[in-house]
Amino acid sequence: METAFRVRDLRFRYPTSSADTIKGISFDVREGEVFGLLGPSGAGKSTTQKIMVKLLEGYEGSIQYFGRDLGSLGSAFYEEIGVGFEVPVHFTKLTALENMEFFAGFYQKTADIQELMERVGLWEYRQVKVGEYSKGMKVRLNFVRAMLNRPRFLFLDEVTNGLDPKNARVIKDMIAEYRDQGGTVFLTTHLMNDVEQLCDRVAFCVDGRLVEISTPRDLKLKYGRREVKVEYRKNGVLASAVFPLDGIGFNEEFQQLLQTAEVETIHSGETSMEEIFIIVTGVELDGQAEQAD
Amino acid sequence: MAKLSRLIKGELKRLVKYKILPVSLVTAVLWIGLFLFLSPQEAQRITPLVILVDVAAMSILLLGAFHHLEKQDGAIRTMLVMPVTVGQILTAKAAASMVLALESAAITAAALYVIHGLTLNYALLLFFVAVAGIGHAAIGFVLALNSRDFSSMLGLLMGYLFVFTLPSILFSLGAIAEKYEWLLLLSPSHAASHLITSVVRGEFRVGMAAAACLYLAVLAGALFRFAVHPQFKDNAMRG
Repeated sequence: METAFRVRDLRFRYPTSSADTIKGISFDVREGEVFGLLGPSGAGKSTTQKIMVKLLEGYEGSIQYFGRDLGSLGSAFYEEIGVGFEVPVHFTKLTALENMEFFAGFYQKTADIQELMERVGLWEYRQVKVGEYSKGMKVRLNFVRAMLNRPRFLFLDEVTNGLDPKNARVIKDMIAEYRDQGGTVFLTTHLMNDVEQLCDRVAFCVDGRLVEISTPRDLKLKYGRREVKVEYRKNGVLASAVFPLDGIGFNEEFQQLLQTAEVETIHSGETSMEEIFIIVTGVELDGQAEQAD
Repeated sequence: MAKLSRLIKGELKRLVKYKILPVSLVTAVLWIGLFLFLSPQEAQRITPLVILVDVAAMSILLLGAFHHLEKQDGAIRTMLVMPVTVGQILTAKAAASMVLALESAAITAAALYVIHGLTLNYALLLFFVAVAGIGHAAIGFVLALNSRDFSSMLGLLMGYLFVFTLPSILFSLGAIAEKYEWLLLLSPSHAASHLITSVVRGEFRVGMAAAACLYLAVLAGALFRFAVHPQFKDNAMRG
């Protein structure tokens, strides 16, 4: 599998800041994967993405896109990538269709606008001015905008933030399909549901540094407890017992419980991405759930 | 070139949708109404001022309003990730701004002819308006990029008019001696005023007109290259 982005010792400082926002991070994004960059507000996620899409310049370190130095790539780079911003990015006085047709006109290859808008449920509202769209509709339109040029590499920033579960599911399905067809995704989010359902690998960014890069599965194994918890009823009373996962097949006490008690639930000690986020970043999700850096 | 042409078409379409072009047309029609109540001599005297107001102040004002609206929409952000250069985006915006100035000058000149039968060197008028327009588009961008919102840009525009346009008005009223006009050319407003007055009255001082043209062109080039271009991307990202 080819490396789509190779980032090495990336450092960046905003002109008005006295300290580096990005403090020497290194990672690879492999072609055909969904790579999630996670972290609390102000950790440097969006800054990293802005550098990778060439909206911020003046960084130190090296970034290669499919083996070519990012700095040497001209505007043709944008033929290959799609960028989904978290905030609305459309001309509010134009209709959704006018917006999409305007943007699509600049690309050599374009997706079927009708098909994309139908998938996200916006086709019937195509003649409505974007200024009259709800927040969720604008988020979906942002996604359509990002997919307009049938990109080889897709950047998505908080792609389902503000969507109801049904529409979030549609977008996540489309991302999964895109990945299955060979597309590569760089996803920044604080929504751990998205991470669990979409990401092949994740990196945690804390205070401008990457503190973990791994697959969600490996992280769950690393941070989870190797144990099995059984909830059961005995003589009508609810009780629970915890057994070590190692050697569970030969654990007589465990086997006896299964045979004699009325078992209600069995859970492994696997942890959630949300718990891992809190452990790794040291930040509660709730406090910053509505914002991104 | 196809992308630039598409960008310009998009700018013009949005000028209409955002009601900026219609407002500019209404302003031009108001000036025409004024001509109906003036003698040919008075109309000829006031025409340079009418065109100057549209080329300088109105262009800056409308460009600023347009910029802040699009920045508020976040649309500039997504334009920056299209396969076009920042230079092409700025060129399209400057071209759209020049269309406003040229449209206003053309309507004013046409009204002067229809109402009073006065003719001008139209080709030269459009050339001078284009030069003055591009200079003031650059100034408009600098003011827009250095203001938080449209209200704060109005404050900057007032400051600009006070420093650069007031001396030109004082000169036209005779409050500043003619020998200082070369010095006054340092004011973009006066350079534009000199060019437009020359062509409307048909009285040219070739050296001064050439200097004014050159100054406005160089000023526009320098501002776009060193002030607008480097700031544009950063400004859009700050949202």
